[in-house]
Amino acid sequence: MDKNNKIPFQEDNYTHNINRNGERTLDRRGFMKTLVGAAGLFAISTLPWGAVAAKELMGLGEKDYARQKIAEVSKVAVGDSVDFSFPSEHDSAILIRLSEKKYVAYQNACTHLRCPVFWVKEEGEMICPCHHGKFNASTGEPTAGPPRRPLPEIKLEIDNGVIYAIGVKRYEA
Amino acid sequence: MKRSHLHVAILCVILAVNVVLTQLVVHQYFFQNYAAVLIYGGFNLLLFPVAVFVYKHDRRQRGVNTHE
Ligand code: FES
Repeated sequence: MDKNNKIPFQEDNYTHNINRNGERTLDRRGFMKTLVGAAGLFAISTLPWGAVAAKELMGLGEKDYARQKIAEVSKVAVGDSVDFSFPSEHDSAILIRLSEKKYVAYQNACTHLRCPVFWVKEEGEMICPCHHGKFNASTGEPTAGPPRRPLPEIKLEIDNGVIYAIGVKRYEA
Repeated sequence: MKRSHLHVAILCVILAVNVVLTQLVVHQYFFQNYAAVLIYGGFNLLLFPVAVFVYKHDRRQRGVNTHE
């Protein structure tokens, strides 16, 4: 007798409202389930970010660049700049000779909206024409205007009077 | 607040914290603070078992009424 009057297994779901007395609890429970499910969704959605971040941390994100000639030392006077592109022909870059010994190079797409940043010798600064962003030439840090991130610095090598680009430094912002 | 709503409230808070953490993860990723990404992402992961625990606890406390 009693056998027929039972649910054979524990049914804790909210699509199955067999027990009318429990309807309100089930509603509430359903809501809580949704909340837990959403928490799970958030947990899963951060996994790819974590994976890519871990990969970068382990240095797998470091790329190898082919060394590329920029200019000859004798052709660049102190305070002058040279435009080039590195690593690909679509990444415009700028080399500045700050002093006798000091050369710096940056990818010159502004970190605001990617306008080309140029070197203003008289002011000793790099300036973005679009919204008057300014960058410190010796560090690449933004000093004024909308940009918030530094320009990516290009690693240089001077070999036999020729300046080469050998890589792009990662941000350390 | 009604005692019976405590667990629901906790779950809502967990979800809000989830939103905040996810946003932080994405931002820190673009600022290239990869260690921070891992930390926030880890918290985000941890919150899920916590949410499950709160849910289970709630169920235990109210009893599973599907049998009567
Ligand atoms: S694009 Fe350079 S300041 Fe806006």
